[in-house]
Amino acid sequence: MSDMDAPRPAGAPAPWGTAPPDVDLGRVWTGVAAQVWRRRPGPLERAAGRLLRSPGLARALVATPSLLLAWIIATVVVLFAGAAATLATGTPYVALLAPAVAGTGIAYAYGPGIDPAWELSQSMAVSGRMVLLARALAVFALNAALGLAASALSGAAAALTFGWLIPMTAVCALALAVATVTRSAAVGVAAGMAGWVITVLSSAAASGDLTTAVTDPALILPYLAFAACCGAVVLYATRIPRGTS
Amino acid sequence: MNVDITDLTRRFRRTQAVAGVSLQAGPGVFGLLGPNGAGKTSLLRMMATVLPPTSGRLRLLGRDPGSYGPRREIRRRLGYLPQNLGYYPGFTVAEFVEYFALLKDMPPGQVPRAVAAAIEHVGLGDQARAKLRTLSGGMLRRAGIAQAIVNEPELLLLDEPTAGLDPEQRVAFRALLRGFGERATVIVSTHLVEDVGAACTEVSLMDTGKIVFHGTPDELTARGEGTGAAGDAPLERGYSAVLAAARSTTAAA
Repeated sequence: MSDMDAPRPAGAPAPWGTAPPDVDLGRVWTGVAAQVWRRRPGPLERAAGRLLRSPGLARALVATPSLLLAWIIATVVVLFAGAAATLATGTPYVALLAPAVAGTGIAYAYGPGIDPAWELSQSMAVSGRMVLLARALAVFALNAALGLAASALSGAAAALTFGWLIPMTAVCALALAVATVTRSAAVGVAAGMAGWVITVLSSAAASGDLTTAVTDPALILPYLAFAACCGAVVLYATRIPRGTS
Repeated sequence: MNVDITDLTRRFRRTQAVAGVSLQAGPGVFGLLGPNGAGKTSLLRMMATVLPPTSGRLRLLGRDPGSYGPRREIRRRLGYLPQNLGYYPGFTVAEFVEYFALLKDMPPGQVPRAVAAAIEHVGLGDQARAKLRTLSGGMLRRAGIAQAIVNEPELLLLDEPTAGLDPEQRVAFRALLRGFGERATVIVSTHLVEDVGAACTEVSLMDTGKIVFHGTPDELTARGEGTGAAGDAPLERGYSAVLAAARSTTAAA
């Protein structure tokens, strides 16, 4: 009889390689593995989770687009390079160009050909359009924060911020709505770009000034109304029809 | 009944992918067999609430997926493995499974243990911290199965789950299916007849969007006896005989 098989006095610790009969080793190992493999959310994800009241949505916001860093860098570069060019030349390049760039980004943020796990995401309790909404809000919130920070430093930046953000909202909403309805990011991008180019050129033709589309405060309300209509289209296009039961 | 379908259809422009399917399924492992293009994947996608039906009645876990609240509740209790599993190559196996556990609205406190249990279930414990881009096709499939079972679903939908698995993994996977089938409804879409014979308690055979046979694997086997239908195994001969009979009926009509 080996040491392992020998009867053990009551209360004596179990030798290596055995476990007390009331211990489920599988459960113990799962508990250990859970601690070892556990991922600690970063501060940004924790803050988003509190704000959105959904850890799943926060994780989707922070993790899914591995483009997050690239997006922030692109925003900062567009803002500061554009602001420098604007101040040097007097033409609001950021306001004229950024809406088309942002519209492209938004159109490519969602869809079967873009998100590799799109099919799987569609069967999740945290719906795809909530993820989309959170991402779009994050884009505008960050850009608004950067714009307002720039406005505090320069009066010219305030006009730039409003001229930039509000048309950008409208162009992004158009790109997103078309991408959602056609299920094609490329078509969404084309629609956003085309819409913005037509707006700029028609404003230029009417006033003789290329920058009217982003400097005329009278256009702010129509832009916002147009964005709201496009938002309604997205909500309608991503619903699941009732009456299947 | 966890799945209650009546006269369900799905049309893609001129193509009728699912043509009036009726199906009821309670706990157990349910096989969905059929040739390529039979409509299995479209039917499974409708059950996964990914694809809305064109017409018909669909109730899952006693709820109507056409309304937001019930659909969300269904999705919390659903596990789904699509035919083409998309994944984020930069995620580790544990991150991938955790991501979908959170999107399934699992309580955050339960997630780490559930993730570990699911990964251990599919035998990927030693790869838990490996990036998905470094895994083989079979391992990726197992990671997909892990995300499907992480929430201990009451309705588990698996589309071609054994594609890419080696024979040893397939045997282990069938045991996993049988375990889940004791407490949940498991629907497995496959064209591998041997998976159905080994793991399923019920089987439906689809062709051109319709269910042409429903019964037990033994009943399907019996349909092939004495018919001279093609196939290396009795169940395959039953499959071939039922398909041939369905097609000759369609041709005669």
